[in-house]
Amino acid sequence: MSASMLGSARAMSSNLHGLSEMLRRTVVEVRSGESGSGTGIIWGGAGLVVTNAHCAPRNMLLEVGGEGKWRGAEPLAYHPQHDLALLAAPSVNGPLLETRDAESLRAGELVFAYGHPLGIHDSLAMGVVHGITRDDRTGSPRWIIADVRLAPGNSGGPLVDAEGRLVGINSMVVNGLGVAVPAALVERFVERALTRRAA
Amino acid sequence: MSPSKSGNTSSTLTELSSQLAAAVETAGNSIVAIHARSRIPSSGIVWRDGVVVSASHTVKRDEQIPVTLPGGESTVATTIGRDSATDLIALRIEGAKSYVATKADTDALKVGSLVLAVGRPGRDVAASFGIISAIGKGWRTWQGARIDRVFRLDLAVYDGFSGGPLVDASGGVLGVNNSALARGTPLTLPATAVDRILDELLERGHVRRPFVGVAAQPVALSASLVKQHGLADDAALLIVSVADGSPADSAGITVGDVLLEANGASLSRPTDLLDALSSVPSGDAFRLKVLRGGTVKSVSVTPADRGARQ
Repeated sequence: MSASMLGSARAMSSNLHGLSEMLRRTVVEVRSGESGSGTGIIWGGAGLVVTNAHCAPRNMLLEVGGEGKWRGAEPLAYHPQHDLALLAAPSVNGPLLETRDAESLRAGELVFAYGHPLGIHDSLAMGVVHGITRDDRTGSPRWIIADVRLAPGNSGGPLVDAEGRLVGINSMVVNGLGVAVPAALVERFVERALTRRAA
Repeated sequence: MSPSKSGNTSSTLTELSSQLAAAVETAGNSIVAIHARSRIPSSGIVWRDGVVVSASHTVKRDEQIPVTLPGGESTVATTIGRDSATDLIALRIEGAKSYVATKADTDALKVGSLVLAVGRPGRDVAASFGIISAIGKGWRTWQGARIDRVFRLDLAVYDGFSGGPLVDASGGVLGVNNSALARGTPLTLPATAVDRILDELLERGHVRRPFVGVAAQPVALSASLVKQHGLADDAALLIVSVADGSPADSAGITVGDVLLEANGASLSRPTDLLDALSSVPSGDAFRLKVLRGGTVKSVSVTPADRGARQ
């Protein structure tokens, strides 16, 4: 192997570590009662967490955790069709994640999933964009399909591009492929939920 | 949301990411969707002007095969020929000249090389990413075809990917992916093998597979036999069945005969016989040295073409 190839493999490896360190500060673990846990994304810098609706069942005691501490969280809104939940968690904070529209994603681009699969904390998985499925009626992106290895516990966690921009929220595995809710749908859900509460 | 506060600049990743996406786009320009089975469509590659290759098991009909071209146009293909031993099919297609795939050099591939599997399981292309996990040399498919090199993949070949290409980081086609050839393990038939098979399919509609019509199993020969007949090997092939009307039957070979040599090469495993057969030119006879009733005889057999019978 030539020196330059070794150099780029090293550079890539160090980039991956940087990416994972950044993502570590943007996620929490979400748990409800005695049931299994999922991943949540700290939204808007502080106080809010977005996760999958199936990770935050209604009428259950919800807690979010990071760096060994658990804090209570209150559900603010749900979107069952998009499998999304917005939680109020006053004491959490983290960096803002830039989002990226699914329309600009190309098949073969690198994507990364971050979360706590099978209870293994802060795991990074690498893959590529497989495709996008669209809403039959509106034609806008409905799910992002990625060739990336996900497991229970990744649910609610971020799918990001090579620059660390949020492209979606990992929600399920279908035929071995990762399926994520596009970031634009998540943004719209959060905006509507907060406007409704303010009104 | 406001711009990123994360401050993560990952130029190597970004570069790699856009290279991979560009590779998929390049490869996608020569991938068609083939609608010839009940579930989802399979993929095919515009290999030469007017010729598409795919995985034979995914194409359930031979005429009026609906195909979606890379540009989205619909057309109809007909079968040129199939090779069941490598699960390759060649289809005739019109109006696809501008889509012929660019082949990449497979000799440069090593275990660990980055590769993408690309398919068109519908209107759009889809991709998966991984590395070459092993390169098999002199691999024989379970239906008897010998392939000089075969690539085993550490990536997922998803539904609809069979028949699509394995591509390198610049989008050049390395071979044809197949998930059925090795009972579910994703494999790639290298471009050089595809070219060789395709040449035969275009020439005669099938791939020549010489056969003599025997089943054999290895047996050990006693030291005294080896000494008595001056044999090169202490193992040989015991004939356990002979097909009626086969070349071996016509040449008088019977159950219980022990095959020692073919054209001077010793036979100790069943694959030795297949190797000897594939080196016999079409229509020529080859000489078998047979141990029968304690004496060594020489028998001349002219192999028939199994491909032609299909």
